[in-house]
Amino acid sequence: MMRVASVGPPLLGGVLLIMGWGALAAVLRGGHLVAGPAEVAGWIAANPGLLGRALGKTLTNATLGFLAGNLVAIALAGVAMIWPRLLNLISGLALVVFCLPLIATGPILRVLMGPGDGPQIVLAALAVYYTTLIPLLTGLRATPAVWLDLVHSYGRGRWSELIHVRARAALPYLFAGLQIAAPAAFLGAMVGEFTGAEQGMGVLTIRFMRALDVPALWAIAVVAAAVSMVVYGAIGAVARMVLHDRPPVILSPPRGKPVSGLSRLFQPALLIAAVLVLWWAGMALPGMNPFFAKSPQDVLAALTTAPQAAATRDTLWTALTETAVFLLPGYVAGLMLGAGLAIALVLVPNLSTLVMPIAVALRSVPIVTTAPLIVLFLGRGALGTISLVAAMVFFPTLVACLHGMRQAPGQILDVFHIYAAGRLRQMAHIRIPAMLPAFFAAARMSVPAAILAVTVVEWLTTGRGLGSLMALSASVSDYNMLWAAVAVVTTISALCYAGVAAIERRILFVYAPEQVRP
Amino acid sequence: MAESQGCARIECTGLGKSFPGALRAVTPLDVTFQPGATTALVGPSGCGKSTLLRLIAGLEDPSEGKVLIDDLPPVRQAARGAISVAFQDPSLLPWLTVRANVALARKLARQSPDPTLVDELIGLVGLSGSEKTRPAALSGGMRQRAAIARALATQPRILLLDEPFGAVDELTRRQLARDLPPLWQSRGTTTLLVTHSIHEAVTLADRILVLSPRPARIVADIAVPLPHPRDAHGADFRALLTRTSKALAQGDADNAPMAAQ
Repeated sequence: MMRVASVGPPLLGGVLLIMGWGALAAVLRGGHLVAGPAEVAGWIAANPGLLGRALGKTLTNATLGFLAGNLVAIALAGVAMIWPRLLNLISGLALVVFCLPLIATGPILRVLMGPGDGPQIVLAALAVYYTTLIPLLTGLRATPAVWLDLVHSYGRGRWSELIHVRARAALPYLFAGLQIAAPAAFLGAMVGEFTGAEQGMGVLTIRFMRALDVPALWAIAVVAAAVSMVVYGAIGAVARMVLHDRPPVILSPPRGKPVSGLSRLFQPALLIAAVLVLWWAGMALPGMNPFFAKSPQDVLAALTTAPQAAATRDTLWTALTETAVFLLPGYVAGLMLGAGLAIALVLVPNLSTLVMPIAVALRSVPIVTTAPLIVLFLGRGALGTISLVAAMVFFPTLVACLHGMRQAPGQILDVFHIYAAGRLRQMAHIRIPAMLPAFFAAARMSVPAAILAVTVVEWLTTGRGLGSLMALSASVSDYNMLWAAVAVVTTISALCYAGVAAIERRILFVYAPEQVRP
Repeated sequence: MAESQGCARIECTGLGKSFPGALRAVTPLDVTFQPGATTALVGPSGCGKSTLLRLIAGLEDPSEGKVLIDDLPPVRQAARGAISVAFQDPSLLPWLTVRANVALARKLARQSPDPTLVDELIGLVGLSGSEKTRPAALSGGMRQRAAIARALATQPRILLLDEPFGAVDELTRRQLARDLPPLWQSRGTTTLLVTHSIHEAVTLADRILVLSPRPARIVADIAVPLPHPRDAHGADFRALLTRTSKALAQGDADNAPMAAQ
């Protein structure tokens, strides 16, 4: 469980954050980059109607998506508990959905669902589905075996396990998931609005970005961040009332039973088959216009047998390399900075009580909604994009690593204290090894988030890479290219996730063997 | 489901258990536990006592042989609410109060709520006044006593106790040793008690099975024909202590060459 002392440090942290922002605005006055707190407050006060209507719309869509996505996640988690054989398939499908590039699914949903709020709600639901399902599955399965033995000793089965033990035991994890899901829903709804909605915070973002209205952009980012933090805090408060404790920090999705031999090949094959069947069935639904709705066969043909297949592949490859150039440095920088700052904070504990609440709060900010600001500040080139990707990865990594280092076994630390070993020695021998599981869990979960960040920046600002390609394909109705890009990005995202997981397994085998052995 | 009635006879025939990649836990055992009797299973750590208890509770499937309780497999009897287990780990659900934890057993066994019985049992284990307390606020011994009360709440025909007094303080342990045997004798409960303590075994049981180091086999089957409450200073009591202790040492010595292999 994450313990953050009281209201004092977060309040002080918040005040320092606003003061730092004010100071930055004062230093850069006249540069048309940063609007200070007073300027932003002035803009909000002058445009309450416009902002209120947009916020109301986005909040409504985000709430509907939040409810729908969470209901589906809860239902599927329940199914996985009653029929454990489906667990790997359900979490695999969840990962694939999480890896879908929202900015391509947005335009596709727009043409499939037409004008209105449908795409925003669906994108919000897609954005929260994974963030709730994974913690919930973790919680449902983190039940001590002896509690389940108690249920079994009275001859009761999985339903009773679920009702009497697992469901209640998973509540803290559910709340933790819902906390992360709240800003994710807001982000999903805003990305949905980027794709051609009529009203909402996303629509205002696009409009003011084109008009280079700096105070308005800052106001929107600040309001989006504030709303996310308030909802994050509110869910935390409800959790504390219900649980008499804070929700735990969730690091890692549940691991299925270790598989070997044929099932090591069978499970991914089953997952790929399930994805293809679901995709194909979705496109074959009545009312689907084949001009927009491309099936797996269409995408395969566009990449292999169609007359322009070679050109399509070239375009995709070029976009992919352009994206990778921004993605990889940003991803690695985010991980290193997150872990590095976490180590620094543990070495200087007083700083930690101040920074930790800010980090936890900033983790709730839908970073992508601040993309225009970061690019405005750091430029449309590599630095802006890499910084945004790094920011997207940085906060979850920092929070996870701090949490991981706090899990260092107290008795072993006591042994080091007895021998008067200093903080650096403790860090090298105990805390960093204790941090590794958390670090790799964050690294794994950050892969799709980093891809989302880089594609959004490419789409909104740089005009290069996969994000831009997807936006361009949507605007010129090249749906073969758009679907191909979705398939490629999703596949790469899932493969990178699996790649990080493979490295993680090797590391954990040495440093946290209890997590990888049956 | 009606509460289970009558004494239960437990028959283990050729019962053995092996775990993948580990030593055999229990060698094939043939043993019968008579209805209404209290049997203590005594043996060194890791000898397979708890595994035997779990096999009888239906929590593990035997690798060979079978367990029958009144001619039915344990799982069927468990589904009738006939079995209760007090685990070594108290396994109280942290979000429930002591009273709710004890009452949970009746819910799981599909028995009607009986708040009077629940409160009586909480009193019996010396937790009166802690009914509304959550497990986190209890000491280790108090948790274990709450777990014993929970195991008794269904008035089971078979009571399986896995080192239930390990964390209980000496005074409470003596009080429980005085109060519990009359309770399960009056109800005709067939009781199996896993313990490390020879003293506890002689105090509580009608019969002591001494098990060898892993894999568990029976090295001595000792009757304890003493009335309750037992005088721990009596000659018969002390003679039984010595006999059990010797059997335990003998089992250890017999198995030493096997362990060396």
